[in-house]
Amino acid sequence: MRYALLVYSDQSSWEGIDEEEAARQRADSMPRWLTLFEEMGKADPAVEGRELVAASEAKVVRLRDGERVVTDGPFAETKEQIGGIFLTELPDLDEAIRIAALVPAAAYGSMEIRPVVE
Amino acid sequence: MTGSLEATFRNEWPRAVAILTRVLGDLTLAEDAVQDAFTTALERWPRDGVPRAPGAWIVATARNGAIDRIRREQTFARKAELLARLQELPAEEDADMSSIPDERLALLFTCCHPALAVESRVALTLREVGGLATPEIARAFLVAEPALAQRLVRAKRRVRDTGIPFRVPPDHLLPDRLPDVLRVLYLVFNEGYAASAGDALVRHELCAEAIRLTKLLCVLMPDEPEAFGLLALLLLQDSRRDARLGADGELVLLADQDRRRWDRASIDEGLRVLRRAEAMRRPGPYQLQAVIAAGHAEGADPRVIADAYAVLERFDPSPVVRLNRAVAMALAGEVEKGLAILEAIEGLKGYSYLAAARADLLRRLGRRDEAAASYREALLLTDNGPERRFLERRLDEVAPTR
Repeated sequence: MRYALLVYSDQSSWEGIDEEEAARQRADSMPRWLTLFEEMGKADPAVEGRELVAASEAKVVRLRDGERVVTDGPFAETKEQIGGIFLTELPDLDEAIRIAALVPAAAYGSMEIRPVVE
Repeated sequence: MTGSLEATFRNEWPRAVAILTRVLGDLTLAEDAVQDAFTTALERWPRDGVPRAPGAWIVATARNGAIDRIRREQTFARKAELLARLQELPAEEDADMSSIPDERLALLFTCCHPALAVESRVALTLREVGGLATPEIARAFLVAEPALAQRLVRAKRRVRDTGIPFRVPPDHLLPDRLPDVLRVLYLVFNEGYAASAGDALVRHELCAEAIRLTKLLCVLMPDEPEAFGLLALLLLQDSRRDARLGADGELVLLADQDRRRWDRASIDEGLRVLRRAEAMRRPGPYQLQAVIAAGHAEGADPRVIADAYAVLERFDPSPVVRLNRAVAMALAGEVEKGLAILEAIEGLKGYSYLAAARADLLRRLGRRDEAAASYREALLLTDNGPERRFLERRLDEVAPTR
């Protein structure tokens, strides 16, 4: 079964921290990312994953009465925004839950599991 | 339908649904096929007699019916795949069933998967593992039949669309997932036992069904002490069913119950099952609740029961357990302490038993006005006839001039 694993986190917590702190946080989470990639690769060698540029850089496009309206994002006024996405083929929901829980963002943000329509 | 035929149906339904689900990989397809086979059985068995191997007959008929259905309904690619899978099952009506793996436990875990809403788990378990018909389940839960049918359709769709697995969870997931199954079985029992409303006979059947399903779980998982703990608990609670209600349907408290009306055979079986659970030396919340129920059945010292609640609270620090511990302490003579615990409970607002328990403890302390206020509060919170009459009688005792 194909699943999209959507990574949600509060990206405002990253704003205003200096380079050094950002580097330290990245280094801290590195072992968890490596574990994730190893487990993901084992479960589905063809897994795809992409990190998205910060939601503050997003553009939102709407067509209203034939008119194109472009505004700055993010679209929803929720604290947590999508920061990345994985597409992966896994045997079942239990496995998808196990993999999603390994994503470091699960510890401070949240993971959304969405089966892909076949 | 005659009794024995119905019993055969109930037994064979989950086995056949489970086998077909494993082979087809789709609960809806499997259920449709088995339903067709049962419809055919209902026509033929009364006329031609029950076949020598009813289970094999059902599976073979479901298999052959599924082939017809799939040829008619599925797209080409899917058709080839499903038909190939069905070849695995015997086509003969008297095949040896022991060669086909028993998948009922996998079916139970699928129906109780935490990704389903709790009420869907209960309905799906009764339908697929219990073999109850949709109208029966709807009646038991006082839900309109179309609403319940919809709930089942949605639940099955979710199983398929989200990839809920059809299997017994692997060892590392089992400690997480077994409690979900036990909880569903306990909910089925409680729906029949604690009855917030409804027909007594239907409710009785729900209790019997929960016990039957828990026995099945114990057969399928003979090394899980909590499964036996739950079975012991259900048997011990069920033993008091008749004594709980007086001649005119009013609720009789445990202490006031006529012990001659307790079902001794059920108590003995409960105690035997509990001993078997305890011998495995891995205590858990259901075993402790069974210990408490056994204590009541054997007239144990209230102190022993209060202590068992204290241990239970370590496994399950929920407000309901704390409420019960407070009441047990009061019965063991520590009324003031019990009341203090009750007053500190949070998260049970709107729960009639909390108000009723507080009222009872206040009554024991002779604080009649406060007791009356709590009885009135409890009365606002329950629609259950016998419970209401009990509370009204007690209210009359503490506030006779109301």
